[in-house]
Amino acid sequence: MWFEIQGRPAVSIASSEFAEAAEAQRRMLGMDGARYVLVDHPIQDATDDEMRAKAQAVLDAVVAAVTT
Amino acid sequence: MTTILDPTDERVPVARQITPRTANSPGVIGLLDISKPRGNVLLDELERLLAGRFPEAEIRRYAKPTFAKPCPSDLRLKIKAECNVVVEALAD
Amino acid sequence: MTATAFSLPDMAGEPRRFPTGRPSLIAFVKEDCATCNLTAPVLEAFHRAWADAADVWMVGQTADGNAILKDRHGLTLPILDDSALRTSLAWGFDIVPAVYWIAPGQEPGAPLEGFVREEWRQLAQRISGELALPPPAVDWPQLPDWRPGCGSKHLDPEIHDRLLAEADGSPIRARRIEVAPSDDIDEFMFDQGFSDGLPLVAPTPERVLRMLTGTRRSPQDIVAIVPPSMAPVTVEKVAINAVMAGCKPEYLPVVLAGVEAVCTDEFNIHGVNATTMGAAPVLIVNGPIRHRIGMNMKQAALGNGNRANATIGRAVRLVVRNVGGARPGGTDRSTLSNPMKFTMCFAEWEEGSPWEPLHVERGFGREDSVITAFAMTSGPVQIVDQESREPDQIAGTLGLGLEGVFLSKIHRIPVDALLVVCPEHVKTLTSQGDYPKARLRERIQAVTARPLREMVANAVSGAGIPVASAAKMTDAVLDSPAPKFADGKFIHIVVAGSEAGKFSAAFHGWLTGSAGSAVVSKKIED
Repeated sequence: MWFEIQGRPAVSIASSEFAEAAEAQRRMLGMDGARYVLVDHPIQDATDDEMRAKAQAVLDAVVAAVTT
Repeated sequence: MTTILDPTDERVPVARQITPRTANSPGVIGLLDISKPRGNVLLDELERLLAGRFPEAEIRRYAKPTFAKPCPSDLRLKIKAECNVVVEALAD
Repeated sequence: MTATAFSLPDMAGEPRRFPTGRPSLIAFVKEDCATCNLTAPVLEAFHRAWADAADVWMVGQTADGNAILKDRHGLTLPILDDSALRTSLAWGFDIVPAVYWIAPGQEPGAPLEGFVREEWRQLAQRISGELALPPPAVDWPQLPDWRPGCGSKHLDPEIHDRLLAEADGSPIRARRIEVAPSDDIDEFMFDQGFSDGLPLVAPTPERVLRMLTGTRRSPQDIVAIVPPSMAPVTVEKVAINAVMAGCKPEYLPVVLAGVEAVCTDEFNIHGVNATTMGAAPVLIVNGPIRHRIGMNMKQAALGNGNRANATIGRAVRLVVRNVGGARPGGTDRSTLSNPMKFTMCFAEWEEGSPWEPLHVERGFGREDSVITAFAMTSGPVQIVDQESREPDQIAGTLGLGLEGVFLSKIHRIPVDALLVVCPEHVKTLTSQGDYPKARLRERIQAVTARPLREMVANAVSGAGIPVASAAKMTDAVLDSPAPKFADGKFIHIVVAGSEAGKFSAAFHGWLTGSAGSAVVSKKIED
């Protein structure tokens, strides 16, 4: 969120497990509009192909978060 | 009436607005790896896809030294100076 | 003295304002004081003698008592109600009756406190002279030579703290929260999210003021910046949370140093809180303050039952929760978490240790009081050995007991462990002479050394060295011995516990060093 305050559109990509933490941090820093995009859990034991599929799945949301 | 003292930081939530977006090309895109395992694989693929989507854009990669601590201020300032938009990944 | 201005109601409810513009004799009394009753008729005589030229007022400390005094002594002088005790506090006397003679343009002198006949008689003579009026009708020889007064009501401990908290000069700056009488204060605090899940002591202004007497530091001093909200925490805010945790004022310096320690970059409390592995600060207190505040370092030192141990650890946690904003479900992402997140603080039994105490080992003086914070994910894990008689056998047991850190299969880990050696194990260790900590660390490393190949992922457990990596290693490398810890320096050793029982214990660390958390010690200023 520091980047937002500094005038740089930003987006965080987090695993769905982190949704609550991201919400909590947004509230704590008083920036309810901050953008984040969730990818499906799990991460740590996902194969490379599975990780690439997750990237493809969120591409549109990531682009939208920093341009619209 | 009982009076107690506030044990919190008394931070009144200040509704900050996010930076306005411009619908055109993002210019320089910073991809910040927060250095949790596997995040780099996702960012590699995202870099490839973004390059396809925005052929005119420049993509720069950064990495936090450790996911366990906040981004060092010199790295933050460098990213701010060099990029128009920032994508951080992957919090898990 | 300070004869500050006041407006107090008399028995008719009419406000009487001081100063009055005339010479004044102001007498503070309370009804349940025998000496005040002795002097009431004398004050009445003063009033009758001087009323034309001076105001003689009695100021009582309870409204009911004022009515009783009036009836009992047939008083006609104005009796003012200071049952709020604010004027008594402001004037600052200790004993009632307290009698002030204040002539306009003169510096007021010290009050007459209690009753000394000769002093009262001389004062009466002087006032009559100044006012050029006949002396009051007091039969002085009938009065006793001397009677002690009583402690003023505003100095009753509970009342005094409340009065100070409400006074203009109060050091309290925190936001005051009014809880309606219809509301249950305990439930209110739960609902506000102030609690770790257990009941809290309500942080009323008077309790917080009492807590602040535990330190010489100014209430508005910044103690630390608390992650993750990065809010500055003042001594006052720490005191508020210490009250809620159940601390006594004398614990406050320990809590302050504990907050300082965990809020350093090195300790990294945000990472400690946030990690899914579920880490918590383990706080160890060394030095003279252990005894002064009654910390437990012997029987059941790591458990419940001692107020100082329990509430100091809890207070530090509450500061991080309430000021830092770290909460489970929010930025605390622990998978299972552990009960140390409520509280984990104990003292080292230095007197029962053959070694330098932890704080001396870490560079402080023996007479310093010091708190040391460790980020630990598990513990205390018992290490049971009731049979060994040889020092090296006990040391061997302690080593085997530490092998479970993270996972017994995983060796050469750069991770802190905290070993709490019980007195009976200390006795066996030193039964044949000195057994330095360095030798104990070496022994732990020696007995836990296993061939590296035992760390390779296999059918039993996929954790450890990936098969592909192991395939690139030579047999010589795979056969090389790997001790539990990457270095003996990761093994921290203290002594605590009762003198009966051969049960030591270990706390297991988290990521150690700059990527995670480092052990931090802070001197306790007392």
